[in-house]
Amino acid sequence: MDPEETLQSLKDIVPAAQNNINTKFIVLDKGRVTLEGQHKTCLALVADETAAVHFQLWGDECDAFEPGDIILLANGIFSYNRNNLVLRAGKRGKVEKVGEFTMTFVETPNMSEIHWVPDSINSKKYVQEAVISPHSRIFPPMH
Amino acid sequence: MALNLIKKALHEAENPIEVSLRESFQILEPKLRPPFPLTIPTQEEYSNLNNAILYGILCEPQLANVHLKHLHGIVTDGYRYFTSMLIKIVNDFYGKLFDSVKRQLISVAHETVYVSAVGFDELMVALLRQIVGGDFSEGNLWLCFEMVTLFLSKWDSLLEEEPLVLTFALYVFLRLLADHCRVSNVERIEALKRVEIDFCVKMIRENFHLCLKIGRDLLRLLQDLVHIPEFCAIWKDLLLNPSSFRNEGFADITQIYRTRTSSRYLLLRITPEMESQLRFLLTHVKLGSQKRYQVWFTKKFLATPERETLLTDMVRFICCAHHPSNEIIQSNVIQRWAVIGWLLKFGKKTHVEANMKLALFYDWLFFDDKADNIMNLEPAILLMVHSIPRYMEMTHSLLEFLFILLDNYDLDRKAMVLRGISSAFHILVRKGVVQSLDVLVSCDMLSPFLKESLRKLLPDLNMNCPAELQKSNILCSNTPSYL
Repeated sequence: MDPEETLQSLKDIVPAAQNNINTKFIVLDKGRVTLEGQHKTCLALVADETAAVHFQLWGDECDAFEPGDIILLANGIFSYNRNNLVLRAGKRGKVEKVGEFTMTFVETPNMSEIHWVPDSINSKKYVQEAVISPHSRIFPPMH
Repeated sequence: MALNLIKKALHEAENPIEVSLRESFQILEPKLRPPFPLTIPTQEEYSNLNNAILYGILCEPQLANVHLKHLHGIVTDGYRYFTSMLIKIVNDFYGKLFDSVKRQLISVAHETVYVSAVGFDELMVALLRQIVGGDFSEGNLWLCFEMVTLFLSKWDSLLEEEPLVLTFALYVFLRLLADHCRVSNVERIEALKRVEIDFCVKMIRENFHLCLKIGRDLLRLLQDLVHIPEFCAIWKDLLLNPSSFRNEGFADITQIYRTRTSSRYLLLRITPEMESQLRFLLTHVKLGSQKRYQVWFTKKFLATPERETLLTDMVRFICCAHHPSNEIIQSNVIQRWAVIGWLLKFGKKTHVEANMKLALFYDWLFFDDKADNIMNLEPAILLMVHSIPRYMEMTHSLLEFLFILLDNYDLDRKAMVLRGISSAFHILVRKGVVQSLDVLVSCDMLSPFLKESLRKLLPDLNMNCPAELQKSNILCSNTPSYL
């Protein structure tokens, strides 16, 4: 099966404690590398044609990716990490650089800047409650 | 043994072409040693065997001769498939190949010329496009040297089989010489320069009919080399002694000015990667969202001051080789004039700035609506018009440059240049690219001298269009955002 056929749009991702996200995006910006315990970590702004989200790079991923890189994420997870809602590969996921530059993107909505609450019917599922900010508050749009 | 073509970076996906070549190699490896089987392969087996042999040649230099013999033994398609795979490798990931693989690639490229492989001319073009302008890195200079020596060593067979390849090479090396001649006393570059000069001079002196095929950009490039004695002599002969080129049809450089240069030549100075990024920008990125792309593009291709000379090639590429559809022109995708306006900003050195403007206006100077394409003119006029009023200095400097060209570009052929520029303005108005030139002529911020020059140049062109038309003219309302 071609993995590209089953890719999810970023606007459709929902926080969950599962490594179930397969998607492709372009890196727009990268923050400073910091240490979390013994591991390097770095926050990045990534986006596709439908939405943007904060992506957490981990360990050697921090040096491997630069703005403009197109990344394929397999079995990623979108969840709260130290109170920040981020997308990341996690231990079971995989990130790979598949290209550069040639992908369009939008910077709003940013899925990390949305307030999510448990669904009233199915409390295991999250639903959007409110937009905290239309754009990333960490990586402002470039004009 | 771990064999690879590519230096794969951390977290980089495998390249599908490399994967398929390697798979063929791994499956067929036992069959790649003599004695070779005599059975006739099916089409699929044939492709796989070609893949395996190609992979072997590139990754096992010590066995390359065995693989080549094998290849010559099995080939039934004039090396068409084999060469097409080589072209794919060069176009898709030449820059990532290991140095040893690059060396093998050049040696097998020699072989394709030697056997006149079907498609070897495209392979030469693909390799020429990998030489980057304004790049003095060792790897890039090595490729220059390898290619120019290939053309010299295979001169006779190229001339016989595929002479146009030599014309393409001439275009490339004339352009690279302009870079290489700006550096002096670097031993490596001196040696390279010498061979490049030998190649170009040999082409022009011995095969002038092939050089003429380039058209007017031949003169644009030669102009940058006039300080080199050999080219100074060529210029003198071009102007004063045209018969010395022993070409019956050639009497005056006017003929060269009149020939529009095919976009094939201009593409030769843009790598496939630059081409794909520039085309993406001009096809998919909306005006207002281009900033990040511009930062990435700059970082990748224009990071050092020597790279500045690439800007001229890019301007020429955008004017002549990227002609968007009407759909794109009417959409909110960033337009060619805006990208050129942005590129012009990078031309810090005076000669680069002048060369970029010349590249932008070059087809104006000799415009003839029977032979030329209005799309080559369009970016310059739109850039001048859209820069009013916010980037007035852009409009001013472009228009001023155009009049300097008119007065000085070629004193002996001033009438021709005058006709070219004037017909360029006329057709741009007639075809509605701009509704009138009133926006320039009645612009308070434009110097009276330039306005007067415009009126003098175009006495018969109605500059005063009705006020309503002015209002509906979208050109006046748009503000550029390339800066």
